[in-house]
Amino acid sequence: MHIPDGFISAPVATVGCVVAAGCVAHAAKATNKKMGEKQIPLMGVLAAFIFAAQMLNFPIAGGTSGHFIGAALAAILLGPWAGVLIMTCVLVVQCLIFQDGGLFALGANIFNMGIVASFIGYYVHRGDASLFGGHRKRILGSGGLAAWLSVVIASIACAFELAISGIVPLGVALPAMAGVHALIGIGEGAITAAVLSFIMATRADLLEIQKA
Amino acid sequence: MKHSFIDQYSDLDSLIHRLDPRTKFIASLAFVMVLTPIRNCQAFAFYFGLIATLLIISRLPPLYVLKRSLLIFPFVLLIAIFIPFFKPGEVAGSYNIWLWQVSVTYDGLLVLANVVIKAWLCILSLILLSATTKFADLLRGLKQLGIPKVIILILSFMYRYIFVLVDEVMRMRRARDSRNFGGGRLRQLRTLGNMLGTLFIRSYERGERVYAAMLARGFDGEVRSLHQLNFKRIDAYFGVTFGLVLLSSGILFW
Repeated sequence: MHIPDGFISAPVATVGCVVAAGCVAHAAKATNKKMGEKQIPLMGVLAAFIFAAQMLNFPIAGGTSGHFIGAALAAILLGPWAGVLIMTCVLVVQCLIFQDGGLFALGANIFNMGIVASFIGYYVHRGDASLFGGHRKRILGSGGLAAWLSVVIASIACAFELAISGIVPLGVALPAMAGVHALIGIGEGAITAAVLSFIMATRADLLEIQKA
Repeated sequence: MKHSFIDQYSDLDSLIHRLDPRTKFIASLAFVMVLTPIRNCQAFAFYFGLIATLLIISRLPPLYVLKRSLLIFPFVLLIAIFIPFFKPGEVAGSYNIWLWQVSVTYDGLLVLANVVIKAWLCILSLILLSATTKFADLLRGLKQLGIPKVIILILSFMYRYIFVLVDEVMRMRRARDSRNFGGGRLRQLRTLGNMLGTLFIRSYERGERVYAAMLARGFDGEVRSLHQLNFKRIDAYFGVTFGLVLLSSGILFW
């Protein structure tokens, strides 16, 4: 879902950069207030964690494979603003060092995979878990659902950006992107739920970090 | 362990290497921005010439640049592959894929070629930036360009720990594979989940240890460095020349 340079038009890319810059600046302030300086090494290591986790591929249908994105997991574990910061750093490194995703398109990529995915992931999980009580299965289910939705909705945002740029009509981009990512998202959801279940079993206290 | 090192060739010496990271970053951004609305072939040839000249000046091994730029190409194609099938226009060929009858149009192929070439040129410019600049210098430059301090600090920690954690992932993957990883898809995902859970807890604890060690050494939220960036005369020359070239090409090709 990393948009390379040249795929979205200059106005779309500019709007993406402005929106992303605003949100990231706010995220920096919000997490600073909440966690203080302690967050810095922690978030650096966790950003490296998300980056490393993205290297593990999992099989999807028909011989293709997808990899983990991790925005929902980061947001569920550390809160949405910290999730935005971590994903922003992951995307910056991917863009500047591995050329995965464009520089001018970085704003749009941060918007899709950082901001949209983190907030959808966090609030779907939060809303679902608090609506139906904190039962273990329920928390895992809502975590999986949140991760799935975060991927699908991020891909829909990406489809809209491509369509507004006039590269492909929306009627095509939307089902194509959302369809593919609905499949990839299943893996994302299952893995997120499995990670949450593992953390719950071994260090349940870590699930409470963002509430502290 | 084997890594594709991040800024492997940043120790070479050339005009491009000596430029201030800020100059290089802004030049790359300007290049990418000017390129975004371009649509005609002569323009692409011109910009390819421009970036190729800079690459030659930078003395990066051409094969390395080519390899790296092609490495990312599957991902570019992945997002672009459905473009030519859906643009209305004269039909170039039609195929049966599974149940669908799809047809490729010339207009669609043109759009595809257009965006793929643009993406490739931009990737080349980013390779030029990242391969000639030490990551720490790049971060220092970005900081002075007004990127929030928190982001810079997180990035510099991330840069230090990527290698450690990637090694860790590789070890875990080898351990998994040597224990005959297989079974149903659900089982595979479960295993992956446990691996990532372990990795998360280890990373978290590592983060805590790092912070404790930093506190013990007197960390107060500020990272100080003796190394200063300086904007030299050559940066001004390069910046003005490059800016003029981009500006005139923009006027010519837009």
